[in-house]
Amino acid sequence: MGNCLKAVSSSNDDISLLREATSIPRESSSSSEQLGPPPSYQETVNQPSSLPVYYPSPNVSRPASQLTEEEQIKIAQRMGLIQHLPTGEFDGSKKNKECAICMGDFTIGDPIRFLPCMHIYHTECIDDWLMRSFTCPSCMEPVDAALLSSYQTD
Amino acid sequence: MAEHQSALLLRKQLNDLKKNPVEGFSAGLANDDDIYVWEVLIIGPPDTLYEGGFFKCHLYFPKDYPLRPPKMKFLTEIWHPNSFDKNGNVCISILHEPGDDKYGYEKASERWLPVHTVETILVSVISMLADPNDESPANVDAAKDWRENPVEFKRKVARCVRKSQEML
Repeated sequence: MGNCLKAVSSSNDDISLLREATSIPRESSSSSEQLGPPPSYQETVNQPSSLPVYYPSPNVSRPASQLTEEEQIKIAQRMGLIQHLPTGEFDGSKKNKECAICMGDFTIGDPIRFLPCMHIYHTECIDDWLMRSFTCPSCMEPVDAALLSSYQTD
Repeated sequence: MAEHQSALLLRKQLNDLKKNPVEGFSAGLANDDDIYVWEVLIIGPPDTLYEGGFFKCHLYFPKDYPLRPPKMKFLTEIWHPNSFDKNGNVCISILHEPGDDKYGYEKASERWLPVHTVETILVSVISMLADPNDESPANVDAAKDWRENPVEFKRKVARCVRKSQEML
């Protein structure tokens, strides 16, 4: 467990770098980022909901149109890896009865995705998460490392 | 995850906590109309300097919870070397935005995970409260006191505990 001194300063760096690099005028968001008591939650996603927003690294979110080429490649690779993870329909035979992300019970026929660690989630719940962090929420196993080792044993 | 799903998940947790309260804290909404802002009263852990204190805090959940963490702030003044900045904002790694940061400061597994609930967050905060250390001093002055002047540190904690009782 750490403190957020470094994390806070690095996140500020991220945001300022981002502004310099792309010089997007951000209207209301800049004033809400000033220090002070945070009475209301600061939404980092100010984009219209129709545009997909991606999360290249912690504290950084950008619409697809503002991604660097390197980030686009990374995100495309991530999407490809996610699509390679097996999916299925919940058939009631699994020991897991609840999706740990939405805490909702699986019902027969729910689309589910299997991670290499064998944890299962609703496809919709886990796919959104894996785009942000390629980690199993339950066992914290990095999904890509597990994928690689499962290829090796094949 | 759509907005109404985060509200459903938070509502479920609220009902669960009302039905089966967890030792060490009590949780509710700061305002009955807003499921995204919670008010929690932490009971100072027994056998620690904070015993007898009642610490009020707020949790601010984003609309895309549980994909992103809430922010947490102590409204009651607290003197502790770690994990609180001077404004009472809680800085523990599990509340940090998810993903792999390029500086390698924290692994993805140490950051936010969508399986965290109000209960698991509070359990982490309470265990941190009970176990001050000087590895990650978020409040540098409190950390200095804790390391170099334990008598003064205890005095300041006792004052916070007293003040927290008056606030009730």
